[in-house]
Amino acid sequence: MNKQNFFLKNKTFTVFAILAVCIVFTAVFAPVLSHGINPLEGNINDAIQPPCRAHIFGTDKMGRDIFARVLYGARISLAATFSVVLLIFTIGSFLGIIAGYFGGIADSVIMRISDMMIAFPGLVLALAVAGILGASVKNAVIAITLVSWTKYARLARSLVMKIRHQDFVAAAVVTGSRVPYILLRYMLPNVLPTLLITAATDIGSMMLELAGLSFLGFGARAPLPEWGLMLSEGRSYMQAAPWLMVFPGLAIFATVVVFNMLGDSVRDILDPKEE
Amino acid sequence: MKTKVKHAVAIGLVAVAVINSFAACGKKDTISSSGVSVASSRKTLKFGCQMYSAGGLDPALRPDWAWNSMRYGITESLFKFDDEMNVQPWLAESCKVSKDHRTWTIQLKKDIKFSDGCDMTATKVKESLDRVKEAGPDGSASPENYLEYDAEILADDEANTITIKTKTAYADLTGNLANPVMAIVDAAHIKDWNNGVIGTGPYAVEKFKEQVGYDLSANKHYYKEVPYDKVELLYMDDASAKTMALQSGQVDLVENITNVADIQKMKDDKNYTVDIATGVRCGFSWMNAKGVLGNKTLRKAILMAIDQESICKSNTIGGLYTAGCSVLPSSLDYGYDKLKNPYTYNPDKAKKLLDEAGIKDTDGNGIREIDGKDINLRYVSYDARLLNDFSDAHTQYLKEIGIGVTAEYGSSDDQWSKLAAGEYDFNNNNWMTVPTGDAETYMSNWYSKSTANFCGYKNEKYDALYEAYLGEKDKDKRKDYVTKLQQILIDDAAVLVDGYYNSSMIYSKNVGYAHISAADYYWLTADIVPAE
Repeated sequence: MNKQNFFLKNKTFTVFAILAVCIVFTAVFAPVLSHGINPLEGNINDAIQPPCRAHIFGTDKMGRDIFARVLYGARISLAATFSVVLLIFTIGSFLGIIAGYFGGIADSVIMRISDMMIAFPGLVLALAVAGILGASVKNAVIAITLVSWTKYARLARSLVMKIRHQDFVAAAVVTGSRVPYILLRYMLPNVLPTLLITAATDIGSMMLELAGLSFLGFGARAPLPEWGLMLSEGRSYMQAAPWLMVFPGLAIFATVVVFNMLGDSVRDILDPKEE
Repeated sequence: MKTKVKHAVAIGLVAVAVINSFAACGKKDTISSSGVSVASSRKTLKFGCQMYSAGGLDPALRPDWAWNSMRYGITESLFKFDDEMNVQPWLAESCKVSKDHRTWTIQLKKDIKFSDGCDMTATKVKESLDRVKEAGPDGSASPENYLEYDAEILADDEANTITIKTKTAYADLTGNLANPVMAIVDAAHIKDWNNGVIGTGPYAVEKFKEQVGYDLSANKHYYKEVPYDKVELLYMDDASAKTMALQSGQVDLVENITNVADIQKMKDDKNYTVDIATGVRCGFSWMNAKGVLGNKTLRKAILMAIDQESICKSNTIGGLYTAGCSVLPSSLDYGYDKLKNPYTYNPDKAKKLLDEAGIKDTDGNGIREIDGKDINLRYVSYDARLLNDFSDAHTQYLKEIGIGVTAEYGSSDDQWSKLAAGEYDFNNNNWMTVPTGDAETYMSNWYSKSTANFCGYKNEKYDALYEAYLGEKDKDKRKDYVTKLQQILIDDAAVLVDGYYNSSMIYSKNVGYAHISAADYYWLTADIVPAE
């Protein structure tokens, strides 16, 4: 199967992968696309201007260009979302594999901590953590990571437990393979596809959670151009100046849809049931 | 087939239930021909307002609570302010003062009753004022600012008078007694001081709904006719929520829509009436002299870096604030025209000033350093009366001259606790400037010996002048003192003034008349009437 065939065969994946790459490119080349307009600088005399030639998405309440802020917002939102997904994927998988492979006390301790975390509604716990740590993008990432790693840990644990006592693992032990080698060589490859699918489908929901925290004042702080925060700032102008909410809202909507669809198509490709 | 029949029956039952519920709702509330919302043929006013300090009512403990109880029409005080901020009798008939201004004999009005039916006797008034003295030290309402704790209060029920003897010679105690903290309540019969205060106002608490609001009912014993039988007071902190609630008919009346575009829309719509009062409130940021802002050059540069006129005229703020350089509004008779502001908007001069003082950006990160550290000021603010917008605008202007600012926006409680603890560089708030009809209490905010001096500002000249002002009884001379005090604050670049706030009351066709008073203490009054 060559590459061309793979992309042609998985058209949905191809389309949404291209769109996802476009979004990433938008974030990377935000300074070029915004023609060098600083998203943090505005002129109060130009506040709340409707979309026009000079400001195609209009201006916000501080006279800042909304188009530039939406573009730069992609940087913050994508960086924060990928950080969360990477962190929960790594931490959750590592702890889950350890718990599943060793069992006993390690399993009990890790799983009881996991149980404690999922005993609370995720966003509420994240709000509490972010509230204690203080409002910032970094703290929002920490808060969501703290409450979201459990899913990966439980998944990895169950997948590892499924193969832990199979003959090829026993053979590896008998032939003197070291534990780290067994974990990396035998356990990880068996859990990876499922965890990757989960991670891919989680990108959209994590982005929404981060935007939600910022919207509620527990994430990014003014004047950062973060989509959730921009929505919150535009809320009081919902009727009089809807463009303050529409454009960051559309940005969140489009990005979440693209990454959700990409995640679904990755799942379709990797899911063993489909094979 | 059976399943289909079951589904059809189930859907039918649900439909009937839904229709019945709508029908039931319809029976509860009807709209009269005049458009007034009538519940069981009773007149009900639906009022949307901001919630301050969880909606508590105890006047003696917190300023917000004192204001709440008076604003909701539950309490009244012996005196009140008219729209020119002159003191007028309210529960009192008249007042006589001794020559030394230490003995005040107040004649009470006859036939005043509390909402529980008890007569407001001189003894009851004394009980109320004594309770303020007892509870005051446990709270932050600082009632001693209005009446000293050592004051002796004598009640004469037969003559229907109370006599207040003080050690301090007050210039005008009646203004102090008009403050909501000094509201008269039935202290002996109040069981729930938090949410069940009993006063003499036109409305009485029927039910408190946490985070939702109050159900108020007409005070049957009020000395005038109360126009509404019930008031549904609903908390709505968001300016847009107030506008939309008004448009949808969820409320008939709201106070202070703090969104320029929305208030303009209301003004342009014939279905709504907007009443705006010339402000006696001032939005200002405390500058903490105990921190980096103890540096006067830095403070001067900050004032010169911010274009207050543009901010106040912008689409974000325009019309709701009037720009000004002093802590007292230009509309008050305190000699605003005589004041000179040496720190008008001039960012280039501000940069030059900082450069000359050695406050430069040496590491090229765009932020100037002071004592080898980047200047990063903590800006504490909260979401009321556009304060966060002012803070954002200030931050934007300050960045242009290389001063970094980190926003810390929270609730009004957060803002207050950080102010009291001195945990801020800027602390933005909006204050009533003449809470007793006089600037004495307000100007004590910068008097170094005052407990209300939260910013650590100290100027011996200011202190001496303020003490002379305290001892002065002549009105004209007092005004002169206030003018001089203002000029000292301006010269010292002690305060970052946002502007002077104009309060508003907006109502739909369901309401015949409503008015926002200049004093901002009185929201629900017996003067608010339904449309005919």
